[in-house]
Amino acid sequence: MSNDSLDPRVNRLKLGEAGEVVKVEEGENWNVYEVFHQEKRGAHHEHVGCVHAPDPQLALVFAKEQFARRKKCVNLWVVRSADILAFDVEDEDMFANNMEKTYRDASGFKVMEKINKFKQSK
Amino acid sequence: MMNNAAISDLIIKMADDELIQGHRNSEWTGLGPVMEEDIAFSSMAQDKIGHAWALYRILHEDLAGPDPDKFAFLRPEKEFKSAHLVEMPNGEYDFSLMRHFLFDHAEAIRYESLQDSSFEPFRMLSKKVKGELKYHTLHANAWLMQLSKAGEESYHRMQQSLNDTFALAAGLFEASPEHESALIADKVYPGEKELFHRWMDRIYPLLVQASLNLPDMKTITPVYGGRQGFHTEHLQPLLKEMSEVFNLDAEASW
Amino acid sequence: MYGGGYIFDEPNKKQLREEEQHDEPEKLAAFEERIAKGEKIEPGDWMPAEYRRQLIRLIEQHAHSEIIGALPEGTWITRAPGFKRKLALIAKVQDEIGHGQLLYNAAETLGKSREAMINDLLSGKSKYSNVFNYPAETWADVAVIGFLIDAAAIVNQVANAKGSYGPYCRALERICYEESFHLKQGHDAFIELATGTPAQKAMLQDALNRWWQPIMHFFGPPDKASSHSEKLMQWKVKMASNDDMRNQFLESYVPKIRELGMTLPDPALKKNEETGKWEYTDPDWEEFFRVINGGGPCNAERLQVRKWAEEQGRWVRKALMRPTEKRALPVA
Repeated sequence: MSNDSLDPRVNRLKLGEAGEVVKVEEGENWNVYEVFHQEKRGAHHEHVGCVHAPDPQLALVFAKEQFARRKKCVNLWVVRSADILAFDVEDEDMFANNMEKTYRDASGFKVMEKINKFKQSK
Repeated sequence: MMNNAAISDLIIKMADDELIQGHRNSEWTGLGPVMEEDIAFSSMAQDKIGHAWALYRILHEDLAGPDPDKFAFLRPEKEFKSAHLVEMPNGEYDFSLMRHFLFDHAEAIRYESLQDSSFEPFRMLSKKVKGELKYHTLHANAWLMQLSKAGEESYHRMQQSLNDTFALAAGLFEASPEHESALIADKVYPGEKELFHRWMDRIYPLLVQASLNLPDMKTITPVYGGRQGFHTEHLQPLLKEMSEVFNLDAEASW
Repeated sequence: MYGGGYIFDEPNKKQLREEEQHDEPEKLAAFEERIAKGEKIEPGDWMPAEYRRQLIRLIEQHAHSEIIGALPEGTWITRAPGFKRKLALIAKVQDEIGHGQLLYNAAETLGKSREAMINDLLSGKSKYSNVFNYPAETWADVAVIGFLIDAAAIVNQVANAKGSYGPYCRALERICYEESFHLKQGHDAFIELATGTPAQKAMLQDALNRWWQPIMHFFGPPDKASSHSEKLMQWKVKMASNDDMRNQFLESYVPKIRELGMTLPDPALKKNEETGKWEYTDPDWEEFFRVINGGGPCNAERLQVRKWAEEQGRWVRKALMRPTEKRALPVA
């Protein structure tokens, strides 16, 4: 068909017929890679999202522009989403008592109190 | 004393290539084969147009040339010095990728050579664009390798695109006879012939690695003419678009 | 770019109650309690089927709006005047594709693949924001879209970013950050024309006149006409009523338009100082539904161009497919 678009870019394309059926096959957008972004040297890499890519090399090439075209960045990691292992949400209760175990925490030890008590007792 | 006319000629050649190539690449923005690649290719289109802008600014600021916007967008076709390679319509993605591969390596080689230029603005600019060009060539190499090894159709498309673009790409190295020897003597840059050889040395092993066959040099005639103001039929329509809004009122601020 | 004017699937009340009974009541209570406390729901969490369905629909329409939204503005990429405007426009259209990418990923975490969503867009089954079915006729349209439609989108997206679904909120956080650049560059181009030559002003006024109704449509039908489910509000899927968002937009932006000496094509448009609400002539809602159902000036072209892009890219994608590789949806 001859295009009659306001977009000269579109007028250079050979568009198909209106109503034409176009279907994308499952898997055509490749695999999913999680992206981790390091803002400055010495900082942790932080998860920022994911990209669809056919392999790790292109995942990294894509991640660079999708996740580091504006913000400060010194490095990126990509990891296939299928290789991420995580706890089930139902297992959240395994972490429930963390905050109570004060023997693991500096705040759990009242050193000054004891020193003051000792000093007063003298 | 530097030969300003010769340097201006070189700047305009480089800038016009980047401006037109950037516009061609920007035609893919929103229409790429997959969103991630759309984004990457668009960034590189922006970079190209940005490099052109930087070069026109050097012309304006260091060589008393015209206003960059007016010069880039309102010049008659005859005064453009772009090579035919960058003027060609995008075609299919294989053509665009192969052009990107050949053009960006040529660009990278050119800027690398400018790191030692006697013309200081070139030295500064080459330092500034180094990282961008590293990404552009990394991107181009990744696609070249992958698509050349991804089955018969894909391989044939890449080979066909190489056949279609190679003589055009060789045309990037068209010297301007009246300025070339002065630029080399003044150590502004090493000259087109030298750059062409460096470019061949760079792309040849990559093409071999991708199992692609470089067309026989004996049968290739580099497509020249762009540097002298002779252009393909595709340039004028694009220039008309680029100037359309400005031309509504060239004195107004947009 | 853009949210707004979503067509939520209005679940019929009976069906919803039945689904709730299917969904285990204890889990439902815990889920609703989590949301009430302001906690986020994450991909692996238990969630009611209706919540999943409505979220996929919402995020998917949002994603489609981004990649279709790239087309009207892309119209002016090769023609944008001068380096700064040109680079900003390409970067903005690129961002829209980037937003689409983020949003499709967020929707995928709910279990619908990107390919399935693209297919629903191409077949017309899934909708996108009506506003992109109008043509960008002049350069001034780019300024109006960049300033006002992005502003409208920000109102909508800032609200949605406080919603309950973690991946959608995270995507929106990044999107809103980039939208502030879109709005600023649009405002800048708008001011340039509004303060320019008489011809530039006239061009801008013409664009404003043409875009005003689509902008009023943008937030969707009036509250009195759309029986949006209380459930969707309670679940923090829908974050604000259409009328509230429209009012917020008018409150913020009508003064910014008028301060530049531009007018809006609605004589009834004024703020009621007593109620604090803006009053306006109802836009033509029949037109709104006609455009949603394919009758807008650009519906056919937008989908044809999108189909062209998918067809053109097919060989590239297929060449690098690895069908036997272990695959997974995005994890977060």
